[in-house]
Amino acid sequence: MTNAVRPSEPAAPGRTLIPAPARANPATTAVAAVSGGIKLRSVRKSYGSTLAADLPALDIPAGSFTVLVGPSGCGKSTLLRMIAGLETPEAGQIHIDGRDVTTAGPGERGVAIVFQDFALYPHMTVARNVGFGLTLEAKHDRRNGLSRAEIQRRVGDMCDLLGLGDKLARKPRELSGGERQRVALARALVRRKPVLLLDEPLSNLDAGRRAPARAELIRLHREVAGTFVLVTHDQAEALSLGTRVVVLNAGRLEQVGTPEEIWRRPANLFVARFLGSPAMNILPVSREADSGDQRRLQGWRPADAVAVDAAGPLPARDDPGQVFEGVVDVAEFVGDRRVAHCVNDHGTWSVEFPAATPVTVGQRLRVLVPAESLHQFDAQTGVRL
Amino acid sequence: MAVASAWHAGVLIVIVALLFPLFWVAVTSLRPANELYSTSPIPWPMSTENYRDALFRFPLRMMLLNTVIMAVGATVLQLAVAIGAAYAVVRFRPRWTGALLLLAGAAVFIPPQALIIPQFLAATHLGWRNSYLGLIVPQLAACGLPILLLREYLAAIPASLIEASIVDGARPAQTLRLVVLPLLRPALAAVSILVFINTWNEYLWPTLIAPQANRTTIQAGLQLLGNQEGPTSGALLAAAMITTLPVLAIYAFASRRITNAFLQSGIK
Repeated sequence: MTNAVRPSEPAAPGRTLIPAPARANPATTAVAAVSGGIKLRSVRKSYGSTLAADLPALDIPAGSFTVLVGPSGCGKSTLLRMIAGLETPEAGQIHIDGRDVTTAGPGERGVAIVFQDFALYPHMTVARNVGFGLTLEAKHDRRNGLSRAEIQRRVGDMCDLLGLGDKLARKPRELSGGERQRVALARALVRRKPVLLLDEPLSNLDAGRRAPARAELIRLHREVAGTFVLVTHDQAEALSLGTRVVVLNAGRLEQVGTPEEIWRRPANLFVARFLGSPAMNILPVSREADSGDQRRLQGWRPADAVAVDAAGPLPARDDPGQVFEGVVDVAEFVGDRRVAHCVNDHGTWSVEFPAATPVTVGQRLRVLVPAESLHQFDAQTGVRL
Repeated sequence: MAVASAWHAGVLIVIVALLFPLFWVAVTSLRPANELYSTSPIPWPMSTENYRDALFRFPLRMMLLNTVIMAVGATVLQLAVAIGAAYAVVRFRPRWTGALLLLAGAAVFIPPQALIIPQFLAATHLGWRNSYLGLIVPQLAACGLPILLLREYLAAIPASLIEASIVDGARPAQTLRLVVLPLLRPALAAVSILVFINTWNEYLWPTLIAPQANRTTIQAGLQLLGNQEGPTSGALLAAAMITTLPVLAIYAFASRRITNAFLQSGIK
């Protein structure tokens, strides 16, 4: 709980700031019916003694923007690579659109992928990079494959959609990081596969490029209407991008739900601590009444305190919630807000409040947390009560 | 300063010692027959008589052609095998990767003399004496080094590039042809030069497998002609120059590539 990092932006930036597509968009018609539902059943994978995945059942609904999130080494990339067919599970089945693809090659699953390092072919121009898959399809299936002119048209349209229209003749090394990312997206989207897999596609971008790139991904998902599965270790990115979030830890599912669900009702201590920055405060329940029966832990988010006061009386409420007291150990100024990290007999906790409120190190602080903002967890199992 | 000067002096001595014989061969090959044993460092009066002699009175041009065919053939074959082996190991990650690389490494360290007798017997049984097949095919035994070098280069290509092509629907041969080989081009150039020079300088094997003057290579042929009542010493020296020039030319133009081939691959 003391690993307070600088708070990132609030949960869903960009959703209201989506830039309109620059041109009329022919790629919108790409996928007629939304498809690309993925089902995983009893999928297991391990590397030596390290468990990479043990998933009894996981459904990724067609048309969703599902984000796989977890700390590094939690198996999220392995899961994505198993869906792509780049790794084979030791046990279990993977179905895409009702078809068992467990043993199918990556090229025959109806998936496209954007790699973390973008994996653009360095010796090909942007146009050839984007058209590579379509050209191969045409070669393999001369009857149903696209003509060269049709491929050219689709590559041109997709590059226009992603603002790469004037970069078609460039080589990847002549592009900026953001442009490379969009080439990788164009290359994956131009094939109109029902499932688009994205392996940390934003982590190789400069910090300033990430927020617009997030908005662009949300817009693309709306326009191409396929299933997007994105892997990230950044919980803020997961909450802002996903229509569904899958939290993974050590190869196991911790929680699956909408961003609101997993934010409002974290299923266990791991999810509670993983989401949010600064992270949720977790303290043992100190009320005398509770100390008798079972050991419980209580959590609340630093931003959920309704009143912060140095010494004076806290506002009276019908449901008083709970008052926490402590001494300020570290005070951070983060622009529009301040974050105070406090210490008391039970541990440490953090609180966020408006920047106008003065706070000094060593000061005694009392905060009121409304009852509806308190989360209860079993201390032994970590499960939400 | 003193240390540096001593070092430079030492280097200079070595260079002179190495280059002097070559220089003397070049100078002598340009003297007319009656001046052959002159000690003047300047070949004057100059004469191209030895070169005309070497090229037109003896089967030197045939030998040159044989050598080119052997060197090009062996280079192409070795590279083809090495590309296939290195790609298979990187693309399919078979369980026996370690064993294959160990074998390739061992092949580099086995002295070629140790292989001569079994190779000679096998080639003779196949009726390959005095033939291009006999000159070229057994040289495949030397493809350990190209395998190791190319595998290092291939392993340096990001795995995601190969995976991207697989997801794009490329078959293994298409990944090789359309993605891997274009990226390997500098490495292929360097390794080909290396193999070409090694094969060009091959002496023992052609002597055994192709003892006939118009069927053998120039390296073995010079020895053959020297033993017989053939060309004069002048013509032999001219022939030696002709043999050396291609290798010198390649070194002059491509030495940087060759050193890079070793440095970038991590094998030294």
